[in-house]
Amino acid sequence: MSDNGHNPYNPIPMHIVRAYYESNDRSLKTFELVFDHQKDCDQFFSNYDPGQFCQLSIFGKGEAPFGIASAAWEGEFVRFTVQKMGSFTKYIHTLQAGDPIGMRGPLGNGFPLEDWKGKNIVIIGGGCAFSTLYALTKHVHHSKHRPDYEELIVIYGARTSGLCMYKHDIETWYQRSDMEIHQAIDVPEEDWSHHVGYVPDVVKDVAPSPQNAVAVVCGPPIMTKYTLPVLVNLGFAPEDIFTSLEKRMKCGIGKCGRCNIGSKYICKDGPVFSLAELNALPADI
Amino acid sequence: MMYILVKKNLDQKLSEWSAKYEVVAPQKVEAYSQFLPFTESSELALNEPHNTRYPPKSLFLPQSEVMLKYNKRLNKFDEIRILPEKRIIFGIRPCDASALTLLDTVFDTEEYQDPYWAGRRENTILVGLGCSEPPSTCFCTTVGYGPFNHDGLDAIMTELDDVFVIEALSAKGEKLFSDFPAATNEHELSVLRIQSNAKQGMNQAFETEGLKQTLDHLFESDYWSEIAESCLGCGVCTYLCPTCFCFDIVDEVQRNERVRNWDTCMFRIYSQEASGHNPRPTISERTRQRLMHKYSYWLDHIEKIGCTGCGRCVRYCPVGLDIRAMLRTASNFESEVVNVG
Repeated sequence: MSDNGHNPYNPIPMHIVRAYYESNDRSLKTFELVFDHQKDCDQFFSNYDPGQFCQLSIFGKGEAPFGIASAAWEGEFVRFTVQKMGSFTKYIHTLQAGDPIGMRGPLGNGFPLEDWKGKNIVIIGGGCAFSTLYALTKHVHHSKHRPDYEELIVIYGARTSGLCMYKHDIETWYQRSDMEIHQAIDVPEEDWSHHVGYVPDVVKDVAPSPQNAVAVVCGPPIMTKYTLPVLVNLGFAPEDIFTSLEKRMKCGIGKCGRCNIGSKYICKDGPVFSLAELNALPADI
Repeated sequence: MMYILVKKNLDQKLSEWSAKYEVVAPQKVEAYSQFLPFTESSELALNEPHNTRYPPKSLFLPQSEVMLKYNKRLNKFDEIRILPEKRIIFGIRPCDASALTLLDTVFDTEEYQDPYWAGRRENTILVGLGCSEPPSTCFCTTVGYGPFNHDGLDAIMTELDDVFVIEALSAKGEKLFSDFPAATNEHELSVLRIQSNAKQGMNQAFETEGLKQTLDHLFESDYWSEIAESCLGCGVCTYLCPTCFCFDIVDEVQRNERVRNWDTCMFRIYSQEASGHNPRPTISERTRQRLMHKYSYWLDHIEKIGCTGCGRCVRYCPVGLDIRAMLRTASNFESEVVNVG
């Protein structure tokens, strides 16, 4: 898309329409953003696939990358869930509905949804990294896409029930006949009727079949590290296991040079990689 | 077609061009030379055997550049794209011009064109000056280029006693010099002799055959900590490198500007993540990134080494680290590893 007039560094003007805390400790806050201009909206949705990310931009604070947590069919808005970590995310947490914000994206490759057609999909997430997996699940749910895929299994773990994201929606997934949902928290709590334990152990218990299946894993590094061998032991081939990586990125379009692992740029060649691709990269993570 | 530019007419010619173009040429700055806009009072430094210290990549990717100016209160911004009028860079060395063609593969891609880079490239004519006597720190022939390499140039000059002999290499170059006097057979013979002597005078600094495989193989070895032992991590090798392009984007709060600045993989903070995790915590991993990028990752991307042998990193390293010696050690190190193992 070379276009002489277009500047990929310009933030797209947007506004926050909904902002709400996602967790009871207020460390996670979800924002839904709408475009100020219809042409930006059309442009965004003609390019967006679940698994992609955006750079959120605030003048005077800078930019930082966040995974997209909404599916296109949900409406003409873009959802992000932001964990309060450093000065930038601390500032974002002060924003409310009605506040302006800039955005660049969608960026990166997204999940290879075309290649997954006709397959069972096993989605495994932990903590706030579940955001792009939520977008993926929502995408598959849509009646237009659902026939493209076979079984859908979602395994989602959080440290406590208070940290579980998208609660109200996920509770309704238990009523769906077209999927399996397994939620887990680390230690038992009153009123918690789902799994208790760490995600790798839950995956072991659920034991999804590797037959005609792909598995996608996103979570904190420690969870990913211990979940990947479980999947390999269940018989998933490295080509059928996917994960999404994060790095300190600036441009998001493969120019600024800082997010490489070996000769791959996370922003441009990723953030989604198969385990086979990761195994071929040097240990620079 | 070859033309001549008589040396004593040089200033006059550059002045004439100045009416239509911004003319940039190497000039004396303290003990070094640097590309600066040509004016009547300019002291040209074309006869320096060394390259300019400060790389001319800055004319396309400035060390610090304002991308937009914002108004926080109104949440509005003005895009800032200060691009040159038509411009001639006169006397750029072939290593620096070929480095620009390497950087084109980063900044001017099908998917995302960097409009700042592309605008400047489009508006610029590059008149190169070949290196008749390459200094000892240069190693362009080792990495696949040469003292009279044509990559990226619109014309290349060879210096004789009283004239520059000019070979036009593109339509832009042909147009610029078409009304210059033609070179004689004698001139052309001298040019051939000088060019061939210059090339023959350069030794192979290290073996490039199989070098990528060697470095890939050494990725997790002690080689990196050994070669990086005396490195201060100052980053001068990357800032002055014509093929290094990493940048950071920051908001300058006092000036209400979003700015991009050269950055360097030699700094700890470069790869530091918000969680505190750093994939390159010591100077060894950072040195590995610098060398692997140039001698392995570039080859994965475009099958070319990402170094044009300009020698700046060798010349200006404050502790005398020499990338050529580092790379020569690599193959020794590998054979030791293999012999022991």
